[in-house]
Amino acid sequence: MKRTRIFRTGWLVLALVAALAPVYWMLTISLKTEVDQFAIPPKWFSFTPTLQHYTDAFVTRSFGQYLLTSAIVAVVSTFFALLIGTLAAYALTRFRLPWNLDHKLSLWILSTRMFPAIVTAVPLFLMMRDLRLLNTKLALIIVYTAFNLPFVVWMMRGFFAEVPRDLEEAALVDGDSRLGALVRVVLPLVSPGLAATAVFCLIVSWNEFLFALVLTQTDAAMTLPVGIAGRVTQYEIKWGVMSAAGVVAMMPILVFALAMQRYLVRGLSLGAVKG
Amino acid sequence: MSIKFKNVTKSFGDSKVVDDFSLKIEDGEFVVLLGPSGCGKTTTLRMLAGLESVTSGDIYVGDERINDVPTQRRDLAMVFQSYALYPHMSIAENIAYPLRVRKVDRNEREQRVARVAKMLEIEPLLQRKPRQLSGGERQRVALARAIVREPRAYLMDEPLSNLDARLRVQMRGELKRLQHQLGTTTIYVTHDQAEAMTLASRVAVMKKGRLQQFDTPLNIYNHPANRFVAEFVGSPSMNLIDGKIEHGVFLSDSIKIPIDRSDAAVTIGLRPEHVHVSTAPLDGAIPASVYVTELMGNETFVFLLVGPHKIIARAPADFRAEVNCKVWLRLETDKAHFFPKEHSTDYTDQKQSV
Repeated sequence: MKRTRIFRTGWLVLALVAALAPVYWMLTISLKTEVDQFAIPPKWFSFTPTLQHYTDAFVTRSFGQYLLTSAIVAVVSTFFALLIGTLAAYALTRFRLPWNLDHKLSLWILSTRMFPAIVTAVPLFLMMRDLRLLNTKLALIIVYTAFNLPFVVWMMRGFFAEVPRDLEEAALVDGDSRLGALVRVVLPLVSPGLAATAVFCLIVSWNEFLFALVLTQTDAAMTLPVGIAGRVTQYEIKWGVMSAAGVVAMMPILVFALAMQRYLVRGLSLGAVKG
Repeated sequence: MSIKFKNVTKSFGDSKVVDDFSLKIEDGEFVVLLGPSGCGKTTTLRMLAGLESVTSGDIYVGDERINDVPTQRRDLAMVFQSYALYPHMSIAENIAYPLRVRKVDRNEREQRVARVAKMLEIEPLLQRKPRQLSGGERQRVALARAIVREPRAYLMDEPLSNLDARLRVQMRGELKRLQHQLGTTTIYVTHDQAEAMTLASRVAVMKKGRLQQFDTPLNIYNHPANRFVAEFVGSPSMNLIDGKIEHGVFLSDSIKIPIDRSDAAVTIGLRPEHVHVSTAPLDGAIPASVYVTELMGNETFVFLLVGPHKIIARAPADFRAEVNCKVWLRLETDKAHFFPKEHSTDYTDQKQSV
């Protein structure tokens, strides 16, 4: 009994260290002077902290701008993905379409996630160039919305399927419209699922690198991940600035995920346990 | 409001679930659609509610043809078998929902909810959530939600079937009284013939999507239109014996009964209360043996074997007989029903013109 507990605690500590060590390293680098960063043996705990890299990143350089771009692109694309995806998922679970289209459409939607993203990068670049949308937030919003949609549709389909049809039918008989029944009866019941889906969309959009790199090159349109990677240049690697930006990039998602934790757990286990 | 079904048919693919169904329900009536599961009674109700489309035929509420009117504008209230209470709303919000959707102002909403809650004695529950309620309480809330807006008619889909037996009988009585008090047309779907008999002003018996008989409970019981209705209504079921009449005598294996009818192959139907059992030999009685007896408290059901036939009789509570004991039967043949043998006729000859 006691031995298994020690064993379990040991594993947990190990997993925790493995997960948090890089984060700790990033955090300390962002606070160390450049000399301390490369000290051997490494200065694990005792060093003179400095906020130099933070000012460098957000005052001297345009990381504040990147942060804002990332936030706008992530929030707006998540909003549209949820709006369109939720309505699509509702229609696909509740209406019988001719020729079994409701099933075929669902699979077709999922199939857009079955090839590697890089396959679409070049065509998307060409399309955005022709639409004169290169180096705009709109380009990223469109692409992220499109890539989050299949995920939203499939997640929400599962949540909608859990809601008994009787409830919507009762709402209709009670005199409500389809949309009214969806908003007043169905959506409140799937709200944990909706929250969980929103968190995932936000994380995916916030962290996305490939499309942002291909579609944006200017300071005005660049997102945070692209901005950070840009500090690795031919002549120098700005570890301090990159780490400082990394710490700031981590924060919003961390705070948001913690705030939504209650919904996340409920949303992800919805369907696993009834009631 | 009166409700009229005119040659209504519903098909799912190739199968006809409701087949040429016609029925005219008067304003204020309590009509029960009765039949075994899969007979199309729930589908019929859902078509009236607008939750299923009508394949062909017409449905009228009052003088309005409602086939193409969307559910939310039919102004009918429905009580679901599952109650379908909105789990995220309090009981008060549940009951107020139909009013809220109709943009009734807050004051009037609260007054009407309070009035209905009082009528159904659920006032102490108003602030709770549906999951904190027992089955019987949920049932009352579902009724309250239907009653609160004074619709053109109530539709009820087996509303009592999820309750335990004692509560079901109690709610049955309350439902009947409530309907009497409100005087609103009610259509009630059930497979329980006892509910149909006790609640209905008229019963519509259905089988395989077709109407078999539409009449008062008493007439359904005393004058069943066909063999199916005869067997389905009444508990225990009517005794049915296949045989033929030859020269004024009904013959079936060891049974011989003088019957004053012309020669034909018939099925004779006799309710258990018209079969009398005696442990002493009687003149002209049919000898039988006891298969088993069931004491019900106020009476005894006696299951009998006459040759290959199983016959059920109602006997007084003090009737005692051992299994396999020899007894004698006297049949009240003037109360007997006769149905053409083999094929059971559907309710076509008596169909009313609508």
